[in-house]
Amino acid sequence: MSNGRDDKRPRLFRLPTSRRRLRGDIDRELRFHIEGRIEELIAGGLTREQAEREVTQRFGDVSVVREQLEEIDTMTHRRREIGEWRSALARDLGHAVRGLALRPAFATVVVLTLGLGIGATTAIYALLDSVVLRPLPYPNASRLVYIEHPVPGIETNAKWRMSQAGYFFFRKNSKAFDDIAVYSESEASLVTPDAAERVRAAAVSGNFFQVVGTRPFLGRSFTDADNGPNAAPVALLGYAFWRQRFNADARVVGTSVSLGSRPFTIVGVAPPKLNLPDYDAQIWLPLELDPDAPAVNSHYLDGIARLRLGVTVSAAQADAARLTSRLPEEFPRAYGPGFMRESRFGVLVSPLRDIVIGGMSRTLWILLGAVSIVMLIAFANVANLFLVRAEARRRETDIRLALGADRLHLAGHYVTESALLALIGGAIAVGLAYGAIRFLIILNPSSVPRLAELSLGWQAGVVALALALGAGIALGLLPLTGLVLGRDRDSTLREGGRTQTASRAQLSARSALVVTQMALAVVLLAAAGLMLRSFQRLRSVQPGFDATGVLTFEIALPSSRYVPRVPGPERYVPVFRYHRELAQRLAALPGVTGVGMTRSLALKDGDGCALVFVKDRSSTRETAPCVGNVIAGPGYFATLGIPIRGRVPTWADVEEQTGAVVVSKALAEHMWPGEDPIGKELRPNGVGEPWYHVAGVTGDVLTRGLDQPPSEIVYYPMVPMEGAPLWSPPTRATIVIRTRNTDPLLLAPAARRVVTTLDREVPVATVQTMETIVDRATAKTTFAMLLLASAGTMALVLSAVGIYGVISYTVAQRRSEIGVRMALGAPAAQVGRMVVAQSMRVAAVGIAIGLVGALAATRVLQSLLFGVSPTDPFTLSGVTLVLLMLGALAAYAPARRATKVDPVEVLRRD
Amino acid sequence: MPEDLDLLRGTLDLLILKTLSWGPMHGLAVLRWIEQVTGQRLQITEGALYPALHRMEQKGWLGADWGYTERNREAKFYKLTAAGRRQLTTELSKWSRYTEAVNLVITAQGAR
Repeated sequence: MSNGRDDKRPRLFRLPTSRRRLRGDIDRELRFHIEGRIEELIAGGLTREQAEREVTQRFGDVSVVREQLEEIDTMTHRRREIGEWRSALARDLGHAVRGLALRPAFATVVVLTLGLGIGATTAIYALLDSVVLRPLPYPNASRLVYIEHPVPGIETNAKWRMSQAGYFFFRKNSKAFDDIAVYSESEASLVTPDAAERVRAAAVSGNFFQVVGTRPFLGRSFTDADNGPNAAPVALLGYAFWRQRFNADARVVGTSVSLGSRPFTIVGVAPPKLNLPDYDAQIWLPLELDPDAPAVNSHYLDGIARLRLGVTVSAAQADAARLTSRLPEEFPRAYGPGFMRESRFGVLVSPLRDIVIGGMSRTLWILLGAVSIVMLIAFANVANLFLVRAEARRRETDIRLALGADRLHLAGHYVTESALLALIGGAIAVGLAYGAIRFLIILNPSSVPRLAELSLGWQAGVVALALALGAGIALGLLPLTGLVLGRDRDSTLREGGRTQTASRAQLSARSALVVTQMALAVVLLAAAGLMLRSFQRLRSVQPGFDATGVLTFEIALPSSRYVPRVPGPERYVPVFRYHRELAQRLAALPGVTGVGMTRSLALKDGDGCALVFVKDRSSTRETAPCVGNVIAGPGYFATLGIPIRGRVPTWADVEEQTGAVVVSKALAEHMWPGEDPIGKELRPNGVGEPWYHVAGVTGDVLTRGLDQPPSEIVYYPMVPMEGAPLWSPPTRATIVIRTRNTDPLLLAPAARRVVTTLDREVPVATVQTMETIVDRATAKTTFAMLLLASAGTMALVLSAVGIYGVISYTVAQRRSEIGVRMALGAPAAQVGRMVVAQSMRVAAVGIAIGLVGALAATRVLQSLLFGVSPTDPFTLSGVTLVLLMLGALAAYAPARRATKVDPVEVLRRD
Repeated sequence: MPEDLDLLRGTLDLLILKTLSWGPMHGLAVLRWIEQVTGQRLQITEGALYPALHRMEQKGWLGADWGYTERNREAKFYKLTAAGRRQLTTELSKWSRYTEAVNLVITAQGAR
């Protein structure tokens, strides 16, 4: 027997020596031939020398023949090896397929478990890859940075954009950038003969296209001259918009479109896929920029710059900081030393990608961690299945080994089988991941940036297959660990396949797997639980208004007709009249119980920031607090159900400029602690006449986000008092309508008709319910919560299967022991308890380890949590309880089986 | 010495296959057999024989094994495989068709 094995073994080591052996064989063959010939000739009567000469002459150059033969034989050898390898693979594959076909349940469970585990990981990896890892869709995007100004003195986390004066100053004096461009997301009304349509516009500086590194698809791009205050109005069409709306007609260049009742000459078409960072622009317009305009502390421009080649972000940051420190001397009126000190006005240069991705990078890494844990749990389950399988096959393996089978050959056999399963699992994983990605695109969660670029890239495919292959090989080698470690295999054969020792070692390996599984599940469930609690907390936050039954939409009045170029309150009259008329007509619609307008809708638009001066306080520009300023029409508070004390300014108040304003409770408590705010006087724009007086106090509204503290807000009327203007006429506004309809969206067509009837050139956009806006405010938490909850559920189910498997197995193993116990009089209940206790022990060890892990791991969640601490005892004890119950439940069926053991039958079998 | 006949291209394979159809032989024996049968009229050089043998081994027509001669010398014996036997049949029929065709030409009456 052993002889047969020794014969086979050298084959495996043939490769390194093959060359030498081939050469030796050729030499031997040729030598035999030459010797034979010589002997022949000697026999024929020649002397040895003559014979040798004769043979050599006839043979010619032996070395040439030898070389020829060596070449042929090397090729022969190589072909033969490939053939052998192929047939071995085919044989193993055939074996594997037949073997698995005999155990379809095993194969199905393994394939599905692996597919689920790897698929979830692949999907999240693809998401991470698309959103975070891939560069932004601009050439050399890594050199693009975003410039903004933190103002921690005004608001802790607020960052202001660039101001016009700051932009020109930076652009002229910076040494770190090739160039700086500014842009602003904007909207325009495209007026056609039938109606007006709101289009997403990108207003950009003339050098924007050069800075992002692209050129127009057709026509020309903008120049600095197009930004001039008196430049002829021009526009570029977005590529997709051009294809959709202009049928990709190249002749459109040079014609004009009507935007807000002004004609714009189309000078070109933007290249495909060019967008503002994470903003899908349909039309491109030049910003109006004036280098000679006096500096104003108004920060409305998104600054984007291209780093000079070789300049790092931190070097650019230093350069920008140097320029920022020069602002007070350059623009003492807008950026005086007092302002700089109070606001702690700074500058921050960061990679553009970080700005686009925002906090999503962290969330996605956390989710990748979560699904990786699910995958590990899935692997543990599959490993357990393979261990059981190996146990069942031990006799087969041992007999094969005893009969002289090659260990490496056996290894190849097992690995082929597991790799086959794993690769099918991998293919399923890719399919699942693809489905998940499609689903996510359809779902279109607003919290995920760059969703338009989302796809299942080849990288994700590679990751899936690599994971599958790695798992396949590891699983295939798993049952062999016992073989290689030189287990005493003769014992199996002697004992007729029932060995206690080996299975005990196996059992502890399997218990270790289950403990690991449990521990991982605890970590994941703790994370999911914390997110769920955060979600609940966030959803139970009272935003300060009643969102049910409220429809919202945006309108934009063409400035050319609604903002007359006159000074004083007269400028505001057309807009005021329009809004009053619109409110009356909308209120007349059936089912409508309230109509209001605002320039900044709570939770959607934030509340801005403007200095506020209180009468009889010695506040200066430097010390005056910056508070939210919201322009709201008379019906706003009632429509949104914001409680009010005192009086809300009426249309008449606004028209007559009585100076009545409403302030939020938080502002009142801050400004006039312990006093009645009604009747107090304040103004937005420095000290002096006239003063606004507080007519009412509103309940607090969480305008900036549900996880933010209530804002201090002054609600100003849309027409300012003479001599105290701060804002321009609100040509852009959001209308809110409260309706008795169960679905407020049903009112939308009627409302749209009202707007169009009133003025055909006013477009209606972003029609949505207030509830949608609230949902969106919790979108990030919802997204993380949903994904973590799914991961947690998968972990729970997989762990349950894992622990059930092990307990069932031990019960089967211990049948004879249980039988003996019962024969000796142990009551069935006690046997059942024993099994359950064992399960609980395994679960408890896993939970204990998992809790330690959870305490360490949930800290990374901190930034995603709201109103709950990462070590929330309620969540952690809940998870503990759930998993302990799981341990008990998983043991239920095996325990019942144990109590049904028939002692007589067991003892007879032994 | 009797006159040598040049070996037609491609016929060496046929000769070797036919020779080995009588049983396993080493290279020298193949050479001797052909020389003997043809009465030394057909001389095959070693430089042609051995590459041909090895190439046919590569193609799987011949199998090779080390063995011992009657005088107890170690030699590489070639034998026909099943594929080699099939190849021999094909080559034989090809050869006879070829010679028939050639014969038809050389025995035909002159053209007018």
